[in-house]
Amino acid sequence: MIQLYHIELRYDGGIRALRDVSLAVDRGEFVFLTGSSGAGKTSLLRLLFAAERPTAGQLLVAGRNISRIKAAQIPRLRREIGVIFQDFKLLMDRTVHENVAVPLEIAGASRRETRTRVWSTLKRLGLGHRLDHRPRALSGGEQQRVAIARALVTDPPLLLADEPTGNLDPELARDIMDIIADANARGTTVIVATHDPSLLARYRHRLLELSEGRLVRDALPRGLASREVVGQF
Amino acid sequence: MRGRATRRLVTAGRNGLRGFWAAPLVSAVSISTMAAGLLVLGAYLLFVGNMRSVLEEFGSDIRLVAFTPEGAELPPEGAAALARDLVGVTGVAAVRFVSSDEALERLRGELGGDAAILEGLERNPLPASFELEIEAGGRSPAALEAIAQSIGQLRGIAEVRYGEEWVESYALFVRVAEWLGLGLGVFLAIVLGAIVSGTVRLTVHARSDEIQIQRLVGAGGLFIRLPFYLEGALQGGTAAGLAILLLYGVWSLGLPIVVEPLEFLLGPRAPEFFGPAQVLTLVLFGVGLGCAGAIVSLLRLEERP
Repeated sequence: MIQLYHIELRYDGGIRALRDVSLAVDRGEFVFLTGSSGAGKTSLLRLLFAAERPTAGQLLVAGRNISRIKAAQIPRLRREIGVIFQDFKLLMDRTVHENVAVPLEIAGASRRETRTRVWSTLKRLGLGHRLDHRPRALSGGEQQRVAIARALVTDPPLLLADEPTGNLDPELARDIMDIIADANARGTTVIVATHDPSLLARYRHRLLELSEGRLVRDALPRGLASREVVGQF
Repeated sequence: MRGRATRRLVTAGRNGLRGFWAAPLVSAVSISTMAAGLLVLGAYLLFVGNMRSVLEEFGSDIRLVAFTPEGAELPPEGAAALARDLVGVTGVAAVRFVSSDEALERLRGELGGDAAILEGLERNPLPASFELEIEAGGRSPAALEAIAQSIGQLRGIAEVRYGEEWVESYALFVRVAEWLGLGLGVFLAIVLGAIVSGTVRLTVHARSDEIQIQRLVGAGGLFIRLPFYLEGALQGGTAAGLAILLLYGVWSLGLPIVVEPLEFLLGPRAPEFFGPAQVLTLVLFGVGLGCAGAIVSLLRLEERP
């Protein structure tokens, strides 16, 4: 699903966000991306949905070479990727239903299909009673679930989550992670960026650790089948 | 697949309408500013349109007179043949033959009470002539000179005359009016385009979060741009409609007051308001201007990754 070969990412001003990162993520995998603040987690996720282009190296996502992708092809790629942002990125002047419907409208879904999918997704996330509310009327946890619903409503093959539980209390964080794990169980490839050790301990999945832009660990939890592993935890 | 594309367009159109109503104050300020500009443009076009009609009337008075040799007899069949030759000259719209007797009658009429001085004449000294009406495109001094030269070479024509000085003054006046009109039109179009562009840029800025989110979840360029184009077009069209209504109101109320003092300029004919085709053109101009403003203001958005 994802392949990185010697990826470099340098921002204007010379800041090197990623240095010589090589890795592969298979279809259906659940991967944690961890590291301290500024380690390059968000930069790596931004590369994956083509918000940035690598300065050097080759990057393939869902069969497309992001290093060479044409600007006109980026929207189509993004329609295959669900992204959950740390700051939710909800439209505050739209209802919950309208927020979740945005990717379906962009995909050109019919009204009936949009209504059905939005309703079933929100119901699955426990927000069936919040359809007509605006995000401001919701708690932080509910807003995050709306953002997740928007990312999942199109059943994307790839889900990227940037600190999805960053501002939530432990119980809500567990709820959110359960929803993401459920999406993975239904076949979606998931990459979650987090620096929360409790999540890593509770959900035992493959772990990629970045430090100063370098991949310093690629490990599977003990007891899981081995692949090309840099370490175990 | 085609259905999905159509639905995307419909959604983008709906977003444009939503944007139009979502910020009513911005829309109202933009529409009223544009309407004020279009009102000035419309008033100017009305003035120029009516002036042009007056100039056309003046222009149609331009006559070129071709005289036959003095004292020569011109039988009716000879006059008819010469008239045919004259009509064949490029730029001549119509020909009227004035016999020497008719010329004398005219002179007698013009002299009025002094016509008695003509009684002592042994013979009619006035030559027969042809009065030529010139096509609209041939009323410039150069074109008239060319026509006069062509006619002067015809057998049976002794002299060609037209009011050279009057024609040159007329041509200069028309030229100045046209350049002035073009200059003002371009100036107003630029100012109005800048107003729309600025307003759309404000809207783009106000909706930058929405644009960013749409981009992140896979919206293509047209899906993002189309609502702004539609919003610009709606604002331009509404502003043009409003400007025409205001102009008509001012026209209806103000015309009776100004028509008499301006009679020296406009002549005796009653000034006319825009016809349906001109109203439609002005509305389409507003729509086009709104679209152009939106396109200009979104050029920089296009460059973003």
